[in-house]
Amino acid sequence: MQSHILKTWFFHLTRHFIMGSISFIFLFPLLWMVLGGFKTNNEIWQQPYRLLPGNWHFTDVFNTARGIQFGPYIFNSLLVGIVGSAATILCAALFAYALVFVKGRFHHRLFWLVLVTYMLPSAVTYVPSYVLLARMNLLDSLTGLMFSNLASVFAVFFLRQSFLKMNYEYIEAAQMDGASHLAILRHVVYPMNKPAFITVGLLTFVQNYSSYMWPSIILSSREKLLVSQGLRQFFIQEGAYGMNWSEVMLGSTLTVIPILVIFALGQRWFTTGITEDSGLK
Amino acid sequence: MDKHIALSDSSLRTPDSESTTAGSSQIQDLRKMFICWWHRSTVLRFMIPFMIPLTIFWILPLIGSFLISFTDWNYISPRMNFVGLNNYFHVFTSHGFQRAVRNTILFSLGTNMTTIALGLVMAMGFQNHYRGSRFYQMAIFSPWVTPAVAVSMVWSWIYQPERGLANYLLTSLGFAPLQWLHSSDTAMLGIVIFTIWKTVGWTMLFYIGALERVPQSLYEAAHLDGCSAWNRFRYITLPLISPTTFFLFIVNMITSIQVYDQIQIMTQGGPGGSTTTLLYLYYQQAFQNFQMGPANAVAMVILVLILVLSILSMKISKRWVHYD
Repeated sequence: MQSHILKTWFFHLTRHFIMGSISFIFLFPLLWMVLGGFKTNNEIWQQPYRLLPGNWHFTDVFNTARGIQFGPYIFNSLLVGIVGSAATILCAALFAYALVFVKGRFHHRLFWLVLVTYMLPSAVTYVPSYVLLARMNLLDSLTGLMFSNLASVFAVFFLRQSFLKMNYEYIEAAQMDGASHLAILRHVVYPMNKPAFITVGLLTFVQNYSSYMWPSIILSSREKLLVSQGLRQFFIQEGAYGMNWSEVMLGSTLTVIPILVIFALGQRWFTTGITEDSGLK
Repeated sequence: MDKHIALSDSSLRTPDSESTTAGSSQIQDLRKMFICWWHRSTVLRFMIPFMIPLTIFWILPLIGSFLISFTDWNYISPRMNFVGLNNYFHVFTSHGFQRAVRNTILFSLGTNMTTIALGLVMAMGFQNHYRGSRFYQMAIFSPWVTPAVAVSMVWSWIYQPERGLANYLLTSLGFAPLQWLHSSDTAMLGIVIFTIWKTVGWTMLFYIGALERVPQSLYEAAHLDGCSAWNRFRYITLPLISPTTFFLFIVNMITSIQVYDQIQIMTQGGPGGSTTTLLYLYYQQAFQNFQMGPANAVAMVILVLILVLSILSMKISKRWVHYD
């Protein structure tokens, strides 16, 4: 009996050791980035490495953070992330609801269309989309960016899978009570699929917040850039060698903070959303 | 919605006035027709907000790309001529394209195989919840949520040949230092390692879910029959999670064919074109050289590549994926 307890104890310890080391490896670049903001350029490059900075000059770091003027980029990214994702999910939820709960003749074919689009690489459409946006006078505008990101096939897919698992009787009962489709979506379907909605919301947010290629094609004026383009701007303007690495690390850290905060808030729903509603049996 | 309510209000009021019996029945008919139309159009009204952007930014551009790939359009001039298959001929015979195809395949397979194997192994470490498991999961997943551009910068420090962390670790383990992103031999390896680090958490989360859904009773029965741990993994776990493997393989393939961010930040397709993938080639030709014809020919190749992959994997999945 004694040896059995010792054995499980040993097992737990080994497991924590292994998973802890793996986590450290994965967190290390992020940790280095955050701590790099507090270091001087020489400290970042000195060997042997020191993980912790020599001094914690919080006021200096605060002043540099104000000096590099990252605020507008973060604001734009948050705007596109929050407003854009909310609109995307609304459209996707309406579409998925109609696909699943309203009977119609063309649903099967429509779903195939969506399925095929799901597999398409979005980049293939960039040139004509650019031309179309130019025609609509929406180039170099955040509205144009959000509008062009509005149709998320992934969101439709994910929500549909989650809706399909619902018991149809709830919908029928609500219909008996004379609820409109919009009311059913709002008061029955949404609460019952909350993990799926939150998961899709978080994933769309991350995608919109940090997207790089498409925004850098259509946005040109400096005050409209998102964080990724802002960082890139910062990276090239001083040249790779004369670059102030500690400022770059600080800028990178600032862009990551909003995402980490939002994920920490939605984390509880998120993992269940992926592991349970991932659209797989 | 509001219109509906307004109309039913007015039609409720009309039968009260006796004088307009004929008119009221007409209105009744109209009302019925309207309600009927309203119900029928529910599907339409629910689908239009999604279908409009889907049409404008997916379906039309797709047709557009296809058409442009047969022209010599250069974006600036208003003229465009039909050149037949010239662009395709030109693209297929160019050295840059062949190299880009090779790079794309190398990158996709390299990241995918490793990500799936690593993701599965790490997911095994999370069998049944224990204290701290959620923290570890989130730590491994965190690179996935951070913007590629932000972490690419830290990784360009790691890969720095003279003072970077990668060479520091290599030399302290007794290996020769590498040039990493500065040499055409190792640049792709650097990008692949970065991409694995960034994406493996996503794969792992899916595997954790899949492993949880394997019925525990199967393991117990196999255990009683004297099945070894390896055999249990080989003959129970692997077949039962194969739908997840299949799904992840396709989705990861499609995303890795579209890799762009880290290449743009870390190598710009270099050195010597060694990290130029198909999508990067497309970007260079379309938005740097404004050769829209050849660029869209490359786009069509990417499209066909992904379609072939999807169809192929569907065929394969019928043979070895077990859907219960």
